[in-house]
Amino acid sequence: MTAPYAPPIQQQYDALTQAVALIDRSDIGRLSLTGEDALDLLDRLSTNALQDLSVGHGEITVLTSNKGRIVDVLFVLQEEDSLFVLTGPGNQEAVSSWIDFYTIVEEVTARDLTGETAMLSLAGPDATTILQALLPTQTEVPVAHQAVSAMIGDVQATIIRTDFIGAPAYDIVVSETDGPQFRNTLLETGAEPAGVDATEALRVERGIPAFGKELGESYNPLEAGLMPLISFTKGCYIGQEVVARLNTYDKVQKSLVGLQWDGESAIESGARLLLDGKQAGIMTTAATSPHIAGVIGLGYVKKAHATPGTELLLESPDGPTPVRVTALPFDTE
Amino acid sequence: MTTARPKPKPLTITITPDAAEHVRVFAAEAGKSGNQLRVSVKGGGCSGLTYVLDLVDEFKEDDKVIEDQGMKLGVDRKSYVFLAGTALEYYGGLNGTGFVFNNPNAKTTCGCGTSFGV
Repeated sequence: MTAPYAPPIQQQYDALTQAVALIDRSDIGRLSLTGEDALDLLDRLSTNALQDLSVGHGEITVLTSNKGRIVDVLFVLQEEDSLFVLTGPGNQEAVSSWIDFYTIVEEVTARDLTGETAMLSLAGPDATTILQALLPTQTEVPVAHQAVSAMIGDVQATIIRTDFIGAPAYDIVVSETDGPQFRNTLLETGAEPAGVDATEALRVERGIPAFGKELGESYNPLEAGLMPLISFTKGCYIGQEVVARLNTYDKVQKSLVGLQWDGESAIESGARLLLDGKQAGIMTTAATSPHIAGVIGLGYVKKAHATPGTELLLESPDGPTPVRVTALPFDTE
Repeated sequence: MTTARPKPKPLTITITPDAAEHVRVFAAEAGKSGNQLRVSVKGGGCSGLTYVLDLVDEFKEDDKVIEDQGMKLGVDRKSYVFLAGTALEYYGGLNGTGFVFNNPNAKTTCGCGTSFGV
């Protein structure tokens, strides 16, 4: 069996930023929630206001623990008779169990669709035009956080504009069996397949946090810069008191920042950031950008050290590496 | 030397006379029978689980029905594991009035007292 064609990283990156790239995001968890209380329950378990979602509309929300820590960041789409939920990569079972634990008198059933579907995504400035050409003439490409279902060729697809790596970006969900054929359909449009290295470079440049790296139970939504995903007026949800207190009394301890250092070898994420021999933060992602010299990364640092230009040391097998704190998003001009 | 064993949790739910009286007052205002109160727990709220009280004409088939203070308390079966041993009280004071759940299963309680964690 031959490996799928993969263009050089520069070409992948250019497709993402100047044309259109095809990304296989099938590792993202996909759940269907049914039952008349599904939306109300999710609204009571997460940070954003979901109550007014209408069919075809979606919203991003943060599942938080009672300590206000991030359990996952979900994209919740209201469908005709159910909710379609995107979780972090491989985190669908944990999210399903979390919802199940809090389902007591409510009528809610979660079903894992991850294995029976594929999710192929188009991202880049030409994605909208490419997608419009694929859709039936009477079907409009969805705008941000909206979705449509349509036949593309003979494949039934749900197209959701999630803007997961900046606008515009579309996640397209098809059955698992249709996946390989549908991938070919997308490649025939001229979309370049983009892999982890190119997408991670762009994600870091744009300062977008990812589950398992910048998003998890070590952090709260305010530290992760997820303020737009928090409703401070909708009422109670799990962790709401903690999140409200952190915000009101300005008690957020650390900030998500960009990091930049010289060198070529990527240092493993999780490495400590030091100042005067004491821990000042942690590096969570490292990537190589085609447009920025050296290595770029994301990390959390104590608020006192979050000012752009602050010099820190990054622990690495080759000894401490000088690192500069950078504003997000990175300047790629 | 013997160690005093903790008293086992009473596996029932109780209501204080004052709380029962206030239920009857609310029921009269709502034009409902004042002696059937359904108690349950739903997911959500600051601490994870939220108390729910409903005046009902009929309990659900699976509800556990407990009689106290001349009232019938119907407890949702799935909620019961979170509520066993709870005393439903009524607090009236300068800083707020309302029903208070004195729940031995609650490890954390939110500021307003309507939600708890186990």
